[in-house]
Amino acid sequence: MTTDPRLRGIAAELDAGLIARREFLRKSAILTGGTAAGLAVLRGMASAQPKTKLRVWLFKSYVTGGNDILAKHVEAWAKERNVEPEFDWATFGDREQKFVAAIEAGNPPDVAEMNYQGPMRYKAALRDETKLAKDLAAARGGLLPYAARVVQFNGQYFGIARLAFGGGLHVRKDVLAEKGLKLPKVYDPDVIEVAKKCQDPAKDIWGFGQTLNRCDDGNGFMQNILWDYGGGAWDKDGKPALATSNLKANMAALQFAVDTIQKHKIQPPGVMGWNDASNNEAYMAGKLVSTNNGASLYYAMGAKKHPLFEKTQVILTPGGPAGSFVFAGAYNWGVFQKSKYHELAEDMIRWVEDEKRFEEYMKACSGQAGPVYKSRAEHPYWKSDPNYEGMLQNIMRSVWPGYPGPISPAAIEVQAQYMLCDMAGRMVTAGLSLEAALKEAHGRVEEVYKIRGGK
Amino acid sequence: MATVAQLPVERARAPRPRAGLRRRLGADWHLGYLFVLPMAIMVIALVAYPFCYAAYLSLTRKYVGVPPVFVGFENYVRLAYDGFFRRAVWNSFVFTFASVGVKLVLGMVMALVLTSRIRYRNLFTGLLLIPWVAPTVVSALNFLWIFDASLGVLNYLLVKVFRILPQGVGWLSEAGTAMASVIFVNVWRGFPFFGISFLAGLKAIPGELYEAASVDGANIVQRFRHVTLPSLRNIIIVVMLLSTIWTFNDFAIVYILTKGGPGGATQVLPVFTYEMAFGAQRLGEAIAVALYMLPALAMVIIVLSRYMRRSHAR
Repeated sequence: MTTDPRLRGIAAELDAGLIARREFLRKSAILTGGTAAGLAVLRGMASAQPKTKLRVWLFKSYVTGGNDILAKHVEAWAKERNVEPEFDWATFGDREQKFVAAIEAGNPPDVAEMNYQGPMRYKAALRDETKLAKDLAAARGGLLPYAARVVQFNGQYFGIARLAFGGGLHVRKDVLAEKGLKLPKVYDPDVIEVAKKCQDPAKDIWGFGQTLNRCDDGNGFMQNILWDYGGGAWDKDGKPALATSNLKANMAALQFAVDTIQKHKIQPPGVMGWNDASNNEAYMAGKLVSTNNGASLYYAMGAKKHPLFEKTQVILTPGGPAGSFVFAGAYNWGVFQKSKYHELAEDMIRWVEDEKRFEEYMKACSGQAGPVYKSRAEHPYWKSDPNYEGMLQNIMRSVWPGYPGPISPAAIEVQAQYMLCDMAGRMVTAGLSLEAALKEAHGRVEEVYKIRGGK
Repeated sequence: MATVAQLPVERARAPRPRAGLRRRLGADWHLGYLFVLPMAIMVIALVAYPFCYAAYLSLTRKYVGVPPVFVGFENYVRLAYDGFFRRAVWNSFVFTFASVGVKLVLGMVMALVLTSRIRYRNLFTGLLLIPWVAPTVVSALNFLWIFDASLGVLNYLLVKVFRILPQGVGWLSEAGTAMASVIFVNVWRGFPFFGISFLAGLKAIPGELYEAASVDGANIVQRFRHVTLPSLRNIIIVVMLLSTIWTFNDFAIVYILTKGGPGGATQVLPVFTYEMAFGAQRLGEAIAVALYMLPALAMVIIVLSRYMRRSHAR
């Protein structure tokens, strides 16, 4: 134990008889009391010092269990680092609006959880996080190909990949078993046949529920079906191809999509007015035999102990003549250039992406926290439920917006403006011919391509 | 003490406006400017500057997070050739005029019924005001459920309860029914404003006018046509013009019910502006869309302000 040298000095003076015992007590009391008072003041000043505030924007998904775990992880990190996190939650409905407003106002958060659009759209306001992104990926066996495309632009990483939403075709396995039918593998003829045999329009039960309306569900399906038939909005060089090199395949795909409503009549009336929640509600109400959806539907049924939870099989999204394609967007972390605390933000990302913490998060997400890194795809969790297997395989084969060309601002904008949904919508509700609908949509895609400077 | 001869010289030295200007501005023009100054600053800061900046941005290519690039009238020209924009303009006029027309009729009926001698008149007045008082978002979300083809109450009533239809109607999924549905919700929400305004006007019409018309042998329709309508003329015009502005700018009802779908069938200019700004994230073009609405709305505003000034002068 160390003693104050001044105390040692007066003790020596006492020993040498230079000062009286009373004088020693007086001087030592002043010394120790003064030191204690000084320390107390310093401690008070230290605690009065405001904590660093880190503005964190998280995404509020329908899988509420996962949201809670993520918030808990960030809070634990903040406590550990003596940081005060300032949370804000963005939803499907207001995420992009919030980003646009904050960036334009020059007041973005320090760090935010973004979807696949973020790195491409907000790269002017985001920090280049190549080193952190590569470090995390290297420690996890590398990024899966679709995720690698989404978070980088010209070799610079503007996002740090986190997860991809799992999902698939939710099928009423009890109904199929009752009819002695196999699970469908392709849309035409499997899904159509299963739907026709299982539906009962008189009882308002429909074989297939898939809107082509202006929403994320409609966008995803329209994009996938074009790829499934060997087409797509873009060619290999990233140029518009709806009504040019991909015309024939796109015609077949669009015709099939519209036929599900008009010719085969396997979809409920009103499906063109649906939003992202409508098929979830219709499925849980027992009105649908099959529907494409993210894992949130499976999660919701499980969380509510819904009777259809046990009767549902989630399988690979069906395909077409050219294969089975699924659009997947990697959710990712973005650190903004305006942040004064980018090192703290990076530290937070490392903390929440720690494998043990991510495992806890993933297990609370019922298949929604799909892998973006190779090692995460090998986690035994994906074998713990037969329904997760389909979700995992969907993610493993997923492709990026703009496929087979590069991901580009134009490809993102075509999605964000629901142009492929409008193409189908114009056929179904405005009576446009197949060629006219494709030509009109191609014109719009080309316009976006030109506006975005051919990117 | 100044002499009479000195006074004009000293007055001439003082800084003051010339005689003509002073006559126009008034003797206490200094004070006048002082009083107007705060309001002028507020108008410049909150109206003029944002408007001018928006007008400038509409002449630029402006993406999120990057500085604007001046492109002249390129955005306006491009929009003029955009089929989806032109459809949005058409839809906006259909939505606005159909809504305002129906609201006018319903509002008048509501006012006439509530001026007649019926029981519980105050209760009915209160009940009829509920749609106007309820937040638009809440009303629109309720109607989203009501119109749902599979799970909505409207189809349930028509198919299951009253057995009027063999199968439910996709209210929001067909071009015609979707537009009719969004107009219906706008009417439902807006007609009480018409009704309550007309009711106030009706109460101000002197009873003697009706008595004189009756003595002259006018029947109920003639009394309505020759007494009620002329007396309500100014109120009708002001209410219609205000409602036209509000309906033309209505965003929430269309966005919540259809997002402009299906296939752009209910796309109106406010929703198109929103999609251009937050979907396409082309901010310059989004403002150009908004400014395209300006001439139509300016006409309405000019007519409205003229009528309001005229009635104020009376």
